[in-house]
Amino acid sequence: MRIGRQTYVIDYGHLALITLIAGAVFWYLFDARSVSLSVNNLLLVQPVAIFALAMYLFILPQCFRKVDAVAAPRAGGEKDPFAIEVSTGHSDIIRMVALGVSLGLMVFLLDVIGFDIAIFLFAAAAMAICGERRPVHLLVFSLAVTLVTIYGFRALISYPMPTTLL
Amino acid sequence: MIDITAFNDALGIMFTSVGSWGWIVPGLIVGLVFSAIPGISITMAMAIVLPMSLYMDFFSAIVFLTSVYTGAGFGGSVPAILMNIPGSPSSFATTFDGYAMSQKGEHNEALGYALFASTLCGIAGYLLLLLVIEPLADIVLRIGPVEMFAVAIWGMMLLGSLGSTYISRGLLAAAFGILLGTVGMNTAGFTRGTLGLPVLLDGIAPIPAMIGLLAASQLLSLATRDYIIEAEGSREVSLRKILKGCWGTMKYPGVLLRGSIIGIIIGAVPGVGSSIGNLIAYAETKRTAKDSATFGKGNPKGVIAAESAVASGEGGSMATMLALGIPGGGATAILIAAFMMHNIVPGPSFIETQKPMVYAIILNNIVQAIVLLAVGIGFIYVASNIMKVRTRYVLPAILVIATLGTYAVTGEAAGPITLFVFALLGYALNRYEYPVSAVVVGILLGRMLETEFLRSYQLSGGNPMYILERPAAMAIFAVMFASLAMTAWGKRKQNRAEAAEALAMERLRDEAAANAAHTTPSKG
Repeated sequence: MRIGRQTYVIDYGHLALITLIAGAVFWYLFDARSVSLSVNNLLLVQPVAIFALAMYLFILPQCFRKVDAVAAPRAGGEKDPFAIEVSTGHSDIIRMVALGVSLGLMVFLLDVIGFDIAIFLFAAAAMAICGERRPVHLLVFSLAVTLVTIYGFRALISYPMPTTLL
Repeated sequence: MIDITAFNDALGIMFTSVGSWGWIVPGLIVGLVFSAIPGISITMAMAIVLPMSLYMDFFSAIVFLTSVYTGAGFGGSVPAILMNIPGSPSSFATTFDGYAMSQKGEHNEALGYALFASTLCGIAGYLLLLLVIEPLADIVLRIGPVEMFAVAIWGMMLLGSLGSTYISRGLLAAAFGILLGTVGMNTAGFTRGTLGLPVLLDGIAPIPAMIGLLAASQLLSLATRDYIIEAEGSREVSLRKILKGCWGTMKYPGVLLRGSIIGIIIGAVPGVGSSIGNLIAYAETKRTAKDSATFGKGNPKGVIAAESAVASGEGGSMATMLALGIPGGGATAILIAAFMMHNIVPGPSFIETQKPMVYAIILNNIVQAIVLLAVGIGFIYVASNIMKVRTRYVLPAILVIATLGTYAVTGEAAGPITLFVFALLGYALNRYEYPVSAVVVGILLGRMLETEFLRSYQLSGGNPMYILERPAAMAIFAVMFASLAMTAWGKRKQNRAEAAEALAMERLRDEAAANAAHTTPSKG
């Protein structure tokens, strides 16, 4: 994107994240105000929401970086040992998205297809996403995870766990 | 310094609940195993086993979770020493000299130094806590809702400002966390942000949200890292040499003391935690040592300093948590969640009404540190095999356990769904350098913050000048703004220094390139 003579690179992912957070905060403030304008309702929520929205406006420019700044490595260049490394490679992102989708499918299908089948399918999918290609390993380990977790948690918790086969 | 009656009652609790002692060894093993697996942090280990503690009585649950905490503190140092891979961020400084010793064939001694420093300084941290809990109780009992609100806000600000490279991102994360924590019906009876879902009337389930943010989100990012560790770790383990290292630790009382003091202080400050404490202790020991040139080349003092800070930091963070009910970071946030699961709120009233229980928890942690010595030595024998477990096996198993754990807490699909939503949120926050722990603590403290703020408002009759009658609250707010300003100033200064250094390096590279161009004879 060009503004005047300067070219900017937009970090769309970051922009989407903070806009999502700001949208949620704005909606929450709106919802709270629609319930009541009483001080007892808004005493903490309103100032904190306004503060969060102000922070959003403050962070917003960080999503737009000058091309020169992007090209140059980050000042200092030293790796932060505490930062959780999140890969940015194309294939890595696909892997992470695939794992996220698998987790979502398992979570939403637990009650539908049964805990046993959902867990088995998820374990196999997650192993495949992480690079396991040997069918016997996929099958045996996923089955082991399913059996141990289903019987283990059934012994531990008092709630019913709907299953199809076990 | 010690309330003798409460102390005797604590001994009574310890001996009448002998069953809970049985949780020490499993807890230590869970902590050691999880933190030895590269990529799994102390917080993750605790978050994954948290739902299991719901089915224990309160004391057993705390014994189990603190054992995981203690075990994980040392567990991370084993791959750090043997393979130069810190099992958790808090073992980062251990790699500097630990791995160098390992390369010289002194890995047994290094493990001995690390283990004994962990044991001794873990005990030291809790002994100090045992002594200060009584005076602390006297102080915190004078804390009213205004001061409590001020302390909680201060803790959130520290978590937000110190937990991230960017203060603004940290503060946004903290504010967002607080708002998430206030969803549902507040103490005045107003219901907000429930989307019409009855399940949200009591607010967002904190435990599934916490497991999603702290564990599942990081597991998602591990999908790309299938660790394959070469046979280098399968070095010979010698009990005699480990014990020699343990004994050798006693030669450095100054290093142990300095590391412990740094660990306790850093551990007690919300937002800093043992991952910074070990680096500061290492740097300070190196700075003051006569043989500082040998640091990084296998100096045992480096290992001892780093490990002593990690172990004693646990006592420091427990002090803040028990006295004020404010978690210093992810691990103590999980402990607070465990308290809440048993309908117990840590903080001033807990110390006042449950002092024997507080002493019993502290005494049990001292026992854990001693048991760690034996379990830790046994663990070293099997550690090299655990470290070689590949991510492709660990990841699906842990994600399934985490998901079922949230189901065990809520008893309905809402738990796993909350985990999933917060795992995605946590992943995105991690990716863009927002401190996830600030969101977690916000969710935990949001309701308490609102309640204390409402009580302060009602006490003051809506008069803001009421704060002038509360000098302690004013002092806390003053310190809060000063520390925030100092952090901002420090980070600005650091950024400028880094930019200047980068510029200087670039100039040097340019000059070197120009010189090379001059000296290289032209072809043809």
